[in-house]
Amino acid sequence: MFNIDKAVPMMGMGGGGGGGGGACYTYPDAPATPGEVTPDVTFDRGIYMNGSITMDDGVSIEIWGFTDGGGGMGGGGMGGGGNQFPSPAMRVTEGQVVHTNLSVNGMMWLHTIHHHGIEPSQENDGVGHYSFDVDGTYTYQWKASHAGTYFYHCHTNTVLHAEMGMYGGLIIDPPEGPGTLHSGGPTYDVEAIWACDEIDSSWHNKNWDAGTCGGDEGFNSLNPDYFIITGVDGAQSALTNPAVAVTMNRGQKLLVRYICAGYLPQRINFGGLTATIHISDGRVLPNPVQVTEIEASSAERYDCIFEPTEAGVYEVSCDFLDWVTGAVVGTARTRITVN
Amino acid sequence: MNKRMGRRNFLKFSSAGIASTLLGSSGLISWSPRAQAATINQIFYITEGYITQPDGVDVYFKGFSTDTNSLTVPGAQLIAQEGDTVNITINNTLGTDHNFVIDGVVDSGVIAGGSSKTISFTVNKAGSYLYYDGLNAPYNRLVGLHGALAVMPSGSSNELYAGSATFVQQYSWVTNDIDPVWHDEIRLGRTPGTTFTPYYFTINGRSMRVPGHPDYANPDIDSGYALDTRLEGSIGDRTLVRILNAGQCMHSVHFHANHVEWLARNGQARADVWKKDTLLLPNNKGSLDVIYPYEIPPDSWPQVTTGSFPMHFHDEMTQTAGGGLYQFGLATTIAFK
Repeated sequence: MFNIDKAVPMMGMGGGGGGGGGACYTYPDAPATPGEVTPDVTFDRGIYMNGSITMDDGVSIEIWGFTDGGGGMGGGGMGGGGNQFPSPAMRVTEGQVVHTNLSVNGMMWLHTIHHHGIEPSQENDGVGHYSFDVDGTYTYQWKASHAGTYFYHCHTNTVLHAEMGMYGGLIIDPPEGPGTLHSGGPTYDVEAIWACDEIDSSWHNKNWDAGTCGGDEGFNSLNPDYFIITGVDGAQSALTNPAVAVTMNRGQKLLVRYICAGYLPQRINFGGLTATIHISDGRVLPNPVQVTEIEASSAERYDCIFEPTEAGVYEVSCDFLDWVTGAVVGTARTRITVN
Repeated sequence: MNKRMGRRNFLKFSSAGIASTLLGSSGLISWSPRAQAATINQIFYITEGYITQPDGVDVYFKGFSTDTNSLTVPGAQLIAQEGDTVNITINNTLGTDHNFVIDGVVDSGVIAGGSSKTISFTVNKAGSYLYYDGLNAPYNRLVGLHGALAVMPSGSSNELYAGSATFVQQYSWVTNDIDPVWHDEIRLGRTPGTTFTPYYFTINGRSMRVPGHPDYANPDIDSGYALDTRLEGSIGDRTLVRILNAGQCMHSVHFHANHVEWLARNGQARADVWKKDTLLLPNNKGSLDVIYPYEIPPDSWPQVTTGSFPMHFHDEMTQTAGGGLYQFGLATTIAFK
């Protein structure tokens, strides 16, 4: 099996994501995938390091992410997927063997994909210092064993790369397909993915390898100034942006896949609606739980079914909490409109 | 205070010392159940010194140490069973007042500088407890005066509480967030006046090292290899992990390769056991009790039974040291042998 003790740390390679610098404690490699088989489904992912989003106040913030199609040269949209933020979602069916092909131009920077909540072998777990940072193309091979909500993110210099936006949704449907949460579980008519995240814009101007050789980059202290839901500014835009805000009819069932995608603790309140949590972290709960709000920590997921009976506009608020005091440091808002 | 401290050189340590007769050679908490209650005796020496952090900076700590010439942060892992009498003698070698507290169990009262005190108490409820110095709160606790006490159900070797899911081995992890500015103010006998800004993050007093670093795989320094943090097991070696947060920050605990069975938070047993890959760890003495099941990583294909994976906190600020050095923070290794 793979022996981490044989990995060769890379010191002083050229920087990227703005140029300059030199990386320490990175492990460039792109070995053959152990026991590679013909997959049931394949995703190709490349890298972009020059994306941006414009916030409601007009400020543009640099974003990094994964492209759909494997463009690994760092240019925008080379793979045809554009610079989506969050990165393009993966959706698979329980039981499928999946290949995630990640292409990275190691002369410029290093990245990995960790499928968070997916539990594959060491080589396919995508954690740089336990395997390798991808330099070239590596095929992550894994099997989707449990229906539910996951996400994937870069696990190289993670503190920076995940903050820069290098994540995307990952959904495992049961064999019944979309519309059923899990085999034997509830069905749904309307689906939303809410990945709630905070942005500290002062971190968004650094090299990909910032801090890896030491030096104080301020990565111990996140002081966010923007709060987003699935890539949309939660100050105003997420209230109405159809990629986030939900419109449904009475009698329909809504599934919200809530991902705590930031670093700070969150408290999401459903504006008076009651959520029934059926799955958390890709595992069916022994008994569903009814809640009006959820307190979550970084990278938790909750799959919530709503069956509203009253027409109305319900304002959903996600508070981001100071990790010491618990004080609300910011809020992202969206809406569920029930006709 | 300052005068006294000026007269001697502080003890300096490359990392926190492991010092517990209660740890087996593997670093596991070893335990044999008894039919009868017993008396457990422990002696602590409150000492001070410096511990070198991953970026080379020496930071001041105090500890419930095992002798006058050591600095043990956290203090020794203690284990008892329900009904046992625990006698603890605390020798305060410093000039400052300290105490020894377990919430809901015992409070020693003030142990003045230079004095000793023996306290005796009975533990009645199985579970995971933090012992700590509650004086000058929260500063004495944060500066290193804390440790873990495990209380086993009477006559049981494999449960968190009577009737809980069972395990075959157990560990305690005490986590801390370190603001060196605060630690230095405490050294000087002053009350910190700055906003708490953690700069280092530790599990049982240590932080992670990675391949290529000279201290990588040194069990005295690298939390990925320290005997009392690194999980080691084979398929089926269900492992109880008692996680106690001595620090001030809420955290997100993330296990790779297996979901854990979530048995308790803040000492409260959960009616339903959820399987989770990520859990909220409350701050200021918050706790989690989980079982890492050591099952075949369920999404591996082909299936594997060996490998090494991280447990790390997912609030990724914790994965740094000195504001950078990603990978040198609060993490350890889960080894499938």
